[in-house]
Amino acid sequence: MPIKLLIVFCLLIIVLLIRFVFFYSSKSNYKDGQVVRFETTLFSEPQFPAGYQKFTVNLSTGESVFVTAPSYPQYKYGDRVSIFGTLKPRVIKNKRIYTMYFPKIEAVKSERGPFLAVTSFVRQSVTDLFNKALPPDLSSLLLGIVFGIKGPMSKEFVDNLRLAGVMHVIAASGMNITMVAGFLSSIFMLFLKRQTALFASVLGIVFYAFLAGMQPSIVRASIMGILVFSSQILGRQSLGAYGLILAGFIMLFISPLLIFDVGFQLSFTATAGLLYIRPLFNRIGKLNVLSKKFPLTEDFFITFSAQIATLPILLATFGIYSLWSILVNVLVLWTIPTLMILGGVGAILGMIFEPLGSILVYLCLPFLLFFQKIVLFFGVLNGVLTVQNLPPSFILGYYLLLLALIFYSTGSKND
Amino acid sequence: MIKKSIFIISIILFAFGGIFFYQYAKFNDGKLHLVFCDVGQGDAIFIRTSTGSNILIDGGPDDSVLNCLSKHMPFWDKNIQLIILTHPHADHYTGLISVIKRYNVMSYDTENVENPGFGTKILQDNLALKNLSAKYLQKGDKLTNQSNFSLLTLWSGADSVQDATNNSPSEAKNLDLNGFSVVELLSYGSFKALLTGDAGIIVEDKIAKEVGKIDVLKVPHHGSKTGLSSLFLEITKPDLAVISVGAKNRYGHPSQEALTLLENNNIKVLRTDMNGEVEIVSDGRTWKIIN
Repeated sequence: MPIKLLIVFCLLIIVLLIRFVFFYSSKSNYKDGQVVRFETTLFSEPQFPAGYQKFTVNLSTGESVFVTAPSYPQYKYGDRVSIFGTLKPRVIKNKRIYTMYFPKIEAVKSERGPFLAVTSFVRQSVTDLFNKALPPDLSSLLLGIVFGIKGPMSKEFVDNLRLAGVMHVIAASGMNITMVAGFLSSIFMLFLKRQTALFASVLGIVFYAFLAGMQPSIVRASIMGILVFSSQILGRQSLGAYGLILAGFIMLFISPLLIFDVGFQLSFTATAGLLYIRPLFNRIGKLNVLSKKFPLTEDFFITFSAQIATLPILLATFGIYSLWSILVNVLVLWTIPTLMILGGVGAILGMIFEPLGSILVYLCLPFLLFFQKIVLFFGVLNGVLTVQNLPPSFILGYYLLLLALIFYSTGSKND
Repeated sequence: MIKKSIFIISIILFAFGGIFFYQYAKFNDGKLHLVFCDVGQGDAIFIRTSTGSNILIDGGPDDSVLNCLSKHMPFWDKNIQLIILTHPHADHYTGLISVIKRYNVMSYDTENVENPGFGTKILQDNLALKNLSAKYLQKGDKLTNQSNFSLLTLWSGADSVQDATNNSPSEAKNLDLNGFSVVELLSYGSFKALLTGDAGIIVEDKIAKEVGKIDVLKVPHHGSKTGLSSLFLEITKPDLAVISVGAKNRYGHPSQEALTLLENNNIKVLRTDMNGEVEIVSDGRTWKIIN
């Protein structure tokens, strides 16, 4: 690493630390039972288990609140609401969050920005299109794969997704951004100047991130995508792995609490795994030959790299590791790009002429059924490793060893 | 590149064709399918007739009925010929809202009883959006089709009111919405099933003679203690009793009284909370349970 970069890196860390100190010293710490009133916008779709409505919103300080309310009136993505009630802290998945039971909720009639109005409209029409054509579980699966939208799924299917280790496909992330960016830029390039086309694509990425609901994984991927495009606009070569560090810096600077967010942690470690561990396989000559011969080897390497990088977080957070997950991922990952294209293009066409969109969505059915059957099959087999209370020292040790291994292998390449 | 695309497109079309054939054969077997959907604490009963008509009686407390429908209908079939709401309680109508949104519902029957509230208002709004107006069922209404299928209304809210005022006004006060529930007798050839909604003992004892011997009984009101009488079971002699109930529900359904009564009458019991969904297939002469 050149000295200049090292200095920049250290400076960034110091800036971040200062931000953290300020953040925590000024943070109002909510107490158990404290009564609060706040206004917020829904960025995810509420869920409707029998007789209730559940959704997550953010307090002005950035903490999330899990709200349980009566099933009616129903709220949806993009609604602005005023909430008045009692906070109760709870620990879910190692993360301290606040809950509110049946607070007083009022819809705030505010002029929706044109941006939110458009994303709400697109989400609604896409959801309707998919729901009309597909069975509910498969419709929600496709919504997750293409847009990262969390639709209602049967508990059985969610459990099986988790047990089979493919929950990550229903969150929008790097692959979605790559597809969106690639798709938009190649279309814009047809009739715009290169610089302008790239700029328009950046706007497209921002739009998509809003559409998907701004989960950490999609924000991370968007920032990295935008960095790549910006560097091309400015005429520089790609930023490579520094994009990840920069994306993390920007996100943590804006919202320091994200560091405790599982989605954020998984998204970052998984991407780091792809950037640093995945190339190590190429250095083993025999594996290189193998990956050229067998089509699914690349999927295997990718899954394996991401899992090595995320394993301790998965275990510490969810307490389970699916022994089948690598096999299941290799079996289903190839369907994802096709589903993204069919579903994405179908969604766009469906807004222009619905029957045309429906046809493309129907064409997703064979892939979705295949996906579902594989997930059900392995979910029922139930090969799950359960770990209770993973000590922090284990996690630290694991990552230090991993870092050492990566440094050693990367360094030895240069000799 | 072109070669690869053609290959992928052919695979999609091939798979699609396969799914078409498979589902066509599976869902048009010329038999009656009666499915007690596993919707947790609530009722949702799906009927696919031997001629391929779809009927849904109640929609359960949430969207899980949608999974049940998609599992028992071919994916291209978005028509539901008839929805019956036995009575306007949330554990019976909520799922219908999503069904009306997603499917092409052709008619909607219920009883002439109101239950004002947010949920029923939304149900009404969605019915209006689809230009559906409720047809109110009355005792004796009978729906038949070309095959030997029929659905006979044995009781509905209007009957309760009339009946109670005729006999004793004091009884009228004791009838709540559950007592008003629509009761339907399904017949297909010699196969008979009684679908009782949340009706109570008072209603059942009144209709028992008319019902006669049946094969399958949907135990009224999720097996609550006000649902079953020994007299009723002795007259109707069901071979199978299905209880549509959610695991660990807060009402304590099904009650020990009801379970004991069924056991004493040697009736086989299947529960949606323990056995999952219950599907019964009949060719009009014999019937069997499918797991």
